Amino acid sequence: MTIVQFAPFQSLVQPAFWHALTELKIDVLRLSDDEQPVTATYTAGRAVKDRETGQEIALGCNLTVSGDAFSKTPQVPQNAVAATGVFKNFNTIEDFKNADKTALFNQVADEIWKSITVDKSTALLNRFLVITYADLKKYKYFYWFAFPAFAAKPAWEIDGEWLAAENALGAETLSSVQSQLHASPRPFFLVRTIENQTTIAPVEEYDIFYANVPPEHRVIGFVDPSALPTNPGWPLRNLLAYLLALHPETAQGVRILCWRDVEPPVAGSSGGWKSRFGMLKQSGAGAATATDRPSAVGWEKNIQGKLGARVADLAPMMDPTRLADQAV
Amino acid sequence: MHTIQQQYWAVREYLSPVLKESKFKEHGRITPEEFVAAGDFLAYKFPVWTWEKGDASKARDYLPADKQYLLTRGVPCLRRASTLEYTEDAERMLSFADPKEGGAAGKEEEWVETHAGRAGGEAGANPGTIDDIPDVDDGEAEVTAGMGGLSVGGSKEPAEIPDMDEIPDMEEDLEDGEDEATAAPNSKLVAPSDGVLDASEVEVAKGNLLQVRTYDVMITYDKYYQTPRIWLIGYDENGTPLTPSQIFQDVSADHAFKTVTIEAFPHSTSLQAASVHPCKHASVMKKVIERMNQGVIEEQQAAKKGSSKDAKPKKWLFRRTSGNGKDDKAAAAAAGEEEVEGMRVDFYLVVFLKFIASIVPTIEVDSTTSF
Repeated sequence: MTIVQFAPFQSLVQPAFWHALTELKIDVLRLSDDEQPVTATYTAGRAVKDRETGQEIALGCNLTVSGDAFSKTPQVPQNAVAATGVFKNFNTIEDFKNADKTALFNQVADEIWKSITVDKSTALLNRFLVITYADLKKYKYFYWFAFPAFAAKPAWEIDGEWLAAENALGAETLSSVQSQLHASPRPFFLVRTIENQTTIAPVEEYDIFYANVPPEHRVIGFVDPSALPTNPGWPLRNLLAYLLALHPETAQGVRILCWRDVEPPVAGSSGGWKSRFGMLKQSGAGAATATDRPSAVGWEKNIQGKLGARVADLAPMMDPTRLADQAV
Repeated sequence: MHTIQQQYWAVREYLSPVLKESKFKEHGRITPEEFVAAGDFLAYKFPVWTWEKGDASKARDYLPADKQYLLTRGVPCLRRASTLEYTEDAERMLSFADPKEGGAAGKEEEWVETHAGRAGGEAGANPGTIDDIPDVDDGEAEVTAGMGGLSVGGSKEPAEIPDMDEIPDMEEDLEDGEDEATAAPNSKLVAPSDGVLDASEVEVAKGNLLQVRTYDVMITYDKYYQTPRIWLIGYDENGTPLTPSQIFQDVSADHAFKTVTIEAFPHSTSLQAASVHPCKHASVMKKVIERMNQGVIEEQQAAKKGSSKDAKPKKWLFRRTSGNGKDDKAAAAAAGEEEVEGMRVDFYLVVFLKFIASIVPTIEVDSTTSF
């Protein structure tokens, strides 16, 4: 059996976010480097077909931070789901460099673990951390995202292959899931089909919802930001940690639906349903129901593929003198 | 200087009256109500487009508060327009203006088909008339004069990539060892058979030919020119915002130096975005609409005669049009003597996107063809 590899989140920061940060920094935060709540969104993974080679190209597994990330009522785009995070801005580049990142990271990981074990909630499974330093005079923004995910020991393996969900579950089930998910978008959900009636429910209702459903008819779905055929997206990792902690029997086998269909497939267009389906299990799973928090990983790599900060240089788009040059 | 110019434009837009009566067939211009109607249609048919409120202080009172502009995120852009030999195609796409040439149906077919980023199948089939490319510098002297000297990627733009020296050296040992369950970009065992590439990998695989950028595309209503206006914010494959000169690489050569500029986005207090200047939109749209209208009317007349079943509409627009006009058509068939309506204003933005696709050929703004 193959170890399941998860496609990490990739941060996508819209310029509007940096504008919002500039305003927040000047008008509200000033010299404070307190943590702020922040909201990001992600959608199901998309692939585009290259018209010249006919190849499907998977777009990034993006977590998007937009201009209203700091607002108390952020606007979640249609078909997207929200994730909340912790934002911390440092006043100097030295503070940014010397910050105790391990402590910050562990703090967020602890929060996630507490929400799983104490609150038994999925609300914080996608919690993330972003630290920044804003060089407002030069329009440069240094930032580093972390998406803490618990490492399962032993690792999850896939029983067989990742399949097209349409083959495994049937198009009717999928279109029923699609319409219910469209009506109430949620990042994680349970699916059951009884007498051709497919219903979905929040993962928190696992015990009631699956009371009379044999394990081979239980399907646990999540909105999958990855579009790679054999790599489910990052959110699945913490979902599996949640299942393992609260429903240890899932270690023997859990049926996972990687939801990648924002819209039902259009008749006549190529492809069909894009969601993936797989049967995961932990081989040799012993009494791994430890109550200690598993170790977590998830710092984002920079452009060079190393663990390090990224920089957004908005001078070409924000610096009035540079813009004036452009417009001559 | 640029600031003054922008102020001038802002004042000019403020002073110009709101277009009241429908003129889209005569001038290619639309009223705010028609913009909203066309936007509703676009957002309904193609849910990737959504209405946005924008910044409340910048809201335009002639548009509904929750329908200030249209937005779609993450539009893929696989190649650079500058690397494509695209000018000929672009010309061909806009060559519908010569009325004495060819039948309407044939022309339309070609126009719809010869489309963004697609390898031109029937290249050379039609040499095309190039008189009507919208960016020719007749008239609008202020605009062209203002932008003629724009140099892209010139010496004024040395810092195309962020200055690596200034990135704090922060590679840190935060995680012990490699995590076996993380799909590392280079360990993605993507079998060629399943034909899916990861965007970050593409560049390596294709020797720099393919760099998947994504764009956020906005459509606003320009009160002065009474047309929609398109705005672009781009990101490279790592999610880093693109610089203006990088954005110009995705604009067809004919337009990059003349009609596309970086300006303040009107529904935000501070955001700058690349925009296609709308000074020629109306005249181009008028020509397109005339052309299409002809086809649509013919189609509707054909439907009246009851021959529509044999004459199967071949192209998307016909199909869409007749699909949407189903009620009209049904009514027409029933009553027999209904008036032929022609193209409806709802399609304005759909058509507009096809026109924009010719300016930014590699950005797939025109999602409508997938239908």
